[in-house]
Amino acid sequence: MKRLFYYTALCLVVVAGSSCSKIDNYPAPSDTINGSTIDEVTGATVQTEVGGGGTRVELLETSYSSNPVPIYFQSMQDGTFNNTKVFGATYKVSVQGPFVPLILTDSVGNVLTDSSKTIVLKNTATLNFKVQPFLRVEWVGKPVFNADSTVTVQVKITRGTNNPNYQQPITDVNLYVCNTHYDANNNYDPRYSTLTSYSGTSGNSILGQVITITTTGGALPAQDVFFRVGARINAVYDEYNYSTPVGLTYP
Amino acid sequence: MKKYNYILLTILILGTAACRKLNIPPKNIIQDPDVFSNSAGIQAYMARLYSELPIEDFRYSPQRGLNFFWIISPTPATTGEALSKDQTSSMQENFGGWTWDIWGGSYTVIHDCDYFIQTLPSYASNFTTAQVNAWLGEAYFIRGMTYFALVKRFGGVPIVNKTLNYVVGTSTDELKIPRSSEQAVWDQVASDFDFAIANLPAVNADDADGSRANKYVAAAFESRAMLYAGTIAKYNTTTLFDANHNELCGMPASLANGYFQKSYNAAVMLDGVYSLYLSAWSATDKTAQYQNFVNLFSDASSKESVFVREYQYPNSVHGYDAYNVPRQLIGPNGYSSEVNPTLNFVEMFGGIPKNPDGTIQTLNSSGQYNLYTNTMDLFANVEPRLRATVILPGDVFKAESIEIRRGIYTGNASAGINPLLPAGSRSQYPTTNLITSATASQTPYALPNGTLMNPAGLSGVFTSDEACAISGFSVRKWLNPNLPTSQVLENNETQTWIEMRYAEVLLNRAEAAYELYTAGQAGTTNYQQDAFDDINQIRSRAGATLLSNAGSMTIDSVRIERRKELAFENKTYWDLKRWRTFSKEQNGTIYRVLMPFYSAQAGKYFFDARTDEHNSVYTYDPRWYYEQIPQGAISKSTNLIQNPGY
Repeated sequence: MKRLFYYTALCLVVVAGSSCSKIDNYPAPSDTINGSTIDEVTGATVQTEVGGGGTRVELLETSYSSNPVPIYFQSMQDGTFNNTKVFGATYKVSVQGPFVPLILTDSVGNVLTDSSKTIVLKNTATLNFKVQPFLRVEWVGKPVFNADSTVTVQVKITRGTNNPNYQQPITDVNLYVCNTHYDANNNYDPRYSTLTSYSGTSGNSILGQVITITTTGGALPAQDVFFRVGARINAVYDEYNYSTPVGLTYP
Repeated sequence: MKKYNYILLTILILGTAACRKLNIPPKNIIQDPDVFSNSAGIQAYMARLYSELPIEDFRYSPQRGLNFFWIISPTPATTGEALSKDQTSSMQENFGGWTWDIWGGSYTVIHDCDYFIQTLPSYASNFTTAQVNAWLGEAYFIRGMTYFALVKRFGGVPIVNKTLNYVVGTSTDELKIPRSSEQAVWDQVASDFDFAIANLPAVNADDADGSRANKYVAAAFESRAMLYAGTIAKYNTTTLFDANHNELCGMPASLANGYFQKSYNAAVMLDGVYSLYLSAWSATDKTAQYQNFVNLFSDASSKESVFVREYQYPNSVHGYDAYNVPRQLIGPNGYSSEVNPTLNFVEMFGGIPKNPDGTIQTLNSSGQYNLYTNTMDLFANVEPRLRATVILPGDVFKAESIEIRRGIYTGNASAGINPLLPAGSRSQYPTTNLITSATASQTPYALPNGTLMNPAGLSGVFTSDEACAISGFSVRKWLNPNLPTSQVLENNETQTWIEMRYAEVLLNRAEAAYELYTAGQAGTTNYQQDAFDDINQIRSRAGATLLSNAGSMTIDSVRIERRKELAFENKTYWDLKRWRTFSKEQNGTIYRVLMPFYSAQAGKYFFDARTDEHNSVYTYDPRWYYEQIPQGAISKSTNLIQNPGY
């Protein structure tokens, strides 16, 4: 009986030991792709939102396959991106977001222009994409606290591109109120944010004008809040262009 | 020891003998001849095909997919028809969650149809030609339905019209069929339905109760599918091309009229064969019109039911009533009130007092609340169809008055009652002068005359327990008034689902006709007049005021009529998608509710119309018009190109 036990134990040791021989020794991805999307006229990064509704970076690993399945990662809210866990390889890199696409096609799918970048990634690659945002949303002055504890802001919205295919009328101009600076169409306080939709071409009349928006729903709660204005046109994925987020200390 | 040698020898001899080739098909596997040479086998094959037919019935929700019992994120709570405590935002369909394999599942059905279509002709000698044609027609119908289910979600998908035979060890490249253009798939749907129309008889010989297809069933679904295709061609703006310039998402706008024409023609085929249900209807009696609309969903003899899905206890069951009865009629499982119609939906109907902007009128000219003795007084002249669709506060269901009250107002009422909140406010109600209840176990409040009254109604609204009429309304459509409360259980109901009724065919016809009219298409038919007549047939049956003249119609008259008529039938979700208006309607949207209050001092009710108290924001992302192809499908078949934005 004892012998049987030892034999069994020996078998188990052999089996267990041999199953350890193969290990996944491929090094973890450690290369970095970082950079930004930059408005080619102003030089500022193109503001966006975090999560799936904002700018994202597309990687096509062309050294693996001529028809690779794309890999995506999201940009940060300020229009910069940084991914430190990428395998070293050859990539065709582009960005997608609220700006004229880097790859333009005609109505039957022929590629007209392709401004994506091909890189051989080793250690770190910094890529700054110059793009034409659909809209530029700029603050005019600072948000103002009113006597009734609402807040009024002023912004100016202009087109960021001369490409007539991306000059659809403005459909929405929204003042977002939020208690963090991650303040965007996917994260705002619906009680106080002011959303305005425009139908047809009526939104074009505000282009280039200083427009004034006041928070809705009465007095803001007594806490510090962030304000941001987003505007969009019906193009590509209907994503918003944003102003920078601005915090305001409750007086 | 010798004995053992003999035994061993015997075993070896026997063993060798057993190696003879017997060539007998395994007895435990059903073979083609078992299935295809007798009508019972065909019946069994059909039973499976029909059970897999992808329709959004009592067992569908975008959250949990097709054929799933648990419906607590109901479809109407994603479309603005209703609010639900368990579904508080826009959503795309949740493929991959809750065992829903839309991709693999659909191609299994298509394979089963292809196999049937390929195999049946070799066994045709066992049957009459009429039988063979009819069954082939059914297989084409089901395949067309399945392609329709795929193309309306994904755009162009692979077309696989023959079974694929993979030999183990060979390359799988042949199996990696790329996506066809969206147009090719819509045309495939049309051709499958056309084959079915040409080969199916007017009455299904195996089952004439509407649960299996006939010629007109196929025509009705063709009218639905081609209307879908036409609106995509006309209103879609997303495009996706593959390397060979196949348009995988989107279609040229020039195709729209062709599809609308097909839709119209298919709808006209049902003219005179099916009809609107009018058994209990009377032109002059609103109560009869209401009762008629209620009965329409349960009368098995209705000539309006074109295609239905039947259930049978205990094999195939659902729990619609269990999830949706008003709170005061709650069943033993403890569910209720999952579908609470929004005020936005209710305001589409006529017969209620309205402000010039179309919203419900609850204030008098001096800006104070109108007062009512009973909550139903506000709805005294309401369109009968609304009562049959929505339980209004104070209306009767299962011989009980369904009591919906947000609270008791104790403030001074002698000089009228001012609005509780400023217009447009999204804040909570003030706590002064307001008695409310957090849950269904209530502490009665003593009114000035000494009688006791619960702060909230028996069906809500409770401020903490949300299993109640959170919008001020509860759904009425489909509820079975004869189901005893003890039987209001999950997985217990067998009420028939009407997937296609003649009212939809008329609405398809009206919309296709109106689109043809606006596109300047003039045939022998006056399309504008046709659309007008169709809509008025629907409105007349509903007890609504008729449209006065064809010239005053717009496409919105047609669409709103459709949304009212087909509400809570899981159709609006697809309509908003194909019209590409989902992202316009759900754009930071907070839906509206109507809260009834009782004024203790006035002894009367008043209504406060406001936005949803939970501030649930609905925002539909336009990239959801084309759903994401499941990542697993792409990993298996790398020729599949993902839809834009995923």
